Amino acid sequence: MDTPQKLVKTDCEEILHRFQQQESVRFEIFSKIWREMKFSEIFYGLPAQHEKRKFSRLILDTACSYLLPPYSFQIRVGGLYLLYSLYRCQTFSPPEQIRVALKDWEYVEKFEKDALEAKHLDVVYILHQLMCFKAFHFTAMPTLLTFQKKRQKEKPRLCEGFIERASRPQELINIELLEELSNIHDIYGKLKTSASLMSEDAPTPVNLTHKDLIPKLRSTVVDFYTWQQKRIESDEEDYSGEGTSSQQESSKRAEKLAAIKSRAFGQATEAAKSRRHRQVEVDLTSNQAGPSNSSGHTRLSKPSLKVRTNENLHISSDLWKEATATTKISRLTALDFVPEEKPKKNYRKSNKKVKTAKEST
Amino acid sequence: MAASKPSADASSNIPDYEYAEVNTKPFHIGSFRNEWLKRLKPGDFSFQLEDEETFDANFARELRVDAETMAEIKSICSLDSLRCHPEDQQPDTNVVPDDPTLKTLIQRKKRQDYRATLKTPKNRHDLFTDELERAAIGKNPETVTNMIAEGELLLTVNVYYPPVVEKFQYVRPHMTLLMTGSHSLAELRDAICCVSDLQVCGEFSNTPDIAPDFISKDHFKSAFFFFEGIFYNDMRYPECQDISMTTIEWAKTHNFPTFSQAKMEDTRFADLKVKVGFPYLYCHQGDCEHLVIITDIRLMHTSDCLDKRLYPLLTHKHRVLTKKCAVCHVYIGRWFTTNDQFAPSNPCLFCDKCFRLLHYDAQGKKLGDFLAYPYVDRGAFN
Ligand SMILES: [Zn+2]
Ligand SMILES: [Zn+2]
Repeated sequence: MDTPQKLVKTDCEEILHRFQQQESVRFEIFSKIWREMKFSEIFYGLPAQHEKRKFSRLILDTACSYLLPPYSFQIRVGGLYLLYSLYRCQTFSPPEQIRVALKDWEYVEKFEKDALEAKHLDVVYILHQLMCFKAFHFTAMPTLLTFQKKRQKEKPRLCEGFIERASRPQELINIELLEELSNIHDIYGKLKTSASLMSEDAPTPVNLTHKDLIPKLRSTVVDFYTWQQKRIESDEEDYSGEGTSSQQESSKRAEKLAAIKSRAFGQATEAAKSRRHRQVEVDLTSNQAGPSNSSGHTRLSKPSLKVRTNENLHISSDLWKEATATTKISRLTALDFVPEEKPKKNYRKSNKKVKTAKEST
Repeated sequence: MAASKPSADASSNIPDYEYAEVNTKPFHIGSFRNEWLKRLKPGDFSFQLEDEETFDANFARELRVDAETMAEIKSICSLDSLRCHPEDQQPDTNVVPDDPTLKTLIQRKKRQDYRATLKTPKNRHDLFTDELERAAIGKNPETVTNMIAEGELLLTVNVYYPPVVEKFQYVRPHMTLLMTGSHSLAELRDAICCVSDLQVCGEFSNTPDIAPDFISKDHFKSAFFFFEGIFYNDMRYPECQDISMTTIEWAKTHNFPTFSQAKMEDTRFADLKVKVGFPYLYCHQGDCEHLVIITDIRLMHTSDCLDKRLYPLLTHKHRVLTKKCAVCHVYIGRWFTTNDQFAPSNPCLFCDKCFRLLHYDAQGKKLGDFLAYPYVDRGAFN
């Protein structure tokens, strides 16, 4: 059976996925999907107050992650709308708050700035509404921490489809820039030749330009793009399991993502135009490895606290025995262990317990 | 006064993980608060709610939005736009709707249907949790002087029971206290209830009335907290001793990093440098040791309890089953006797009433031969 965490994540990703498909950042579109999915009902069917709070806590914490990087601007807008809608649809008062950690606040501020610049009034309005409702808890960390090291805890999975692909190289090195660059290159070259022609006895001029700068630049960007497309493809294969038809789809999807973003930001440049160079034929053998950051998360595994403590502490066996032996007071203050879940059973046993306790004293 | 100093480097006061989702790196609590206050407008953490008109007016002015657009945004973003049921039908929010499609609800429905077959009433544990919840939420004082200041910190502190029994590794019984950044560690100490403070050592069969005078709490007052290499000793009373000295001296002779001392009554939480989520130590009664974990620090919120007098605020307490009197089986045991001719067993546990009825005459004269020891049940604080 799936954990509540997993189910909640699935539901959140479903609504964001539908929102993503609409290629919009409008609240109107989001609320339509919300109603279609009857998402308000997610709070229903929890009669006990503490269950309600626990569930609100869980779903707000889950939804909050979509407001932050590395997700794309559109998904983050969806995340904000989801948080707002969840916050307002809680069925008890006062509602649970949205926890935002100090380290994440700068991303929220930057997000607001981007939305403001692009004049997404509904995004800014919703964010300001949340502030006005005092919907945030300004915290140290995203969740409460109890030094709980879960056995083989599943690593929080990032939803790949929501992550923004780097598109800056393509956007910067577009066809206009290449043309412009090539023009300047030509003019400069001509100027130089004419200068050296004028004074024949002058020494050979210093060669300051790369002859094939423009083709090189172009092929580098194309290499990067090809590599990126391949990664999307392989991700897609992992995801859907159908390899053959995904190639076209994935490049279509990448185009879509980029288009949404440029539309979302109200940029004047047309996506298709600026990406003309993508249609250039690609030498597939070149530079398959791609940029070097592909290794993903490598974490140094440190030994556990217990191991480190044992390494640091060299206690002779006698001392250790002494330290672990319980004194009278500590035995008196120790709780005896009765699991709370089964009060009935234990109640019947309690007389026997008195006896054993007496014997030990 | 404060033993740990705020770090000059601002970024080190922005908490981040040391071990992902386990605990943070150490940071200075007061400086952490300042970092938040620097980033927020006073209105953001104010306890006052802004009214709708002011909000609309501010928004329209800031974004240079005309009245028509403003009205449109408001209607698009209204709560109505999220309503999933017809306006004239108020659904029962306590039951899962029929034919749910959300994964969460499908599972919840299964559980609800299963529960319906059991027909068990709401259990006591649920009721108790609800009770504490209610106690914790949204209490405002009548007078301004008892009101917590805006921008104050709220800390959640877990204090665990001594880990003697093996089972503790799986269940970790504890109490949870809410404290403010202005509270001293001495105030935390006074809020921790542990039965070892209530123990009475000695035999009192001849003088049962004077037993309460010998409560450990009043006799052994020394205690300390240990956070990030510093022992915070309780030195409020003349009888208090610096019981951390032994450990500090021992550490010195065993090539350990040096520890230092401070007074718990002079140290506020805001003065501390700690890791959130990391286990520290509280030690009292000589060797009764509790783990202490600060699980959360955040700015105080308008829906929190804002009455200073109600802090430290207990929000969770592990419940233990109490041992009952061997005679009436109703009241919690207060005495245990040995070599007792009236008792069905040796030793035997009695509540105060049964103990006195059985062992003393109307004038309080001891009857027969027995030894009596005060007994403090672990569930005494339930
Ligand atoms: Zn204790
Ligand atoms: Zn009794």
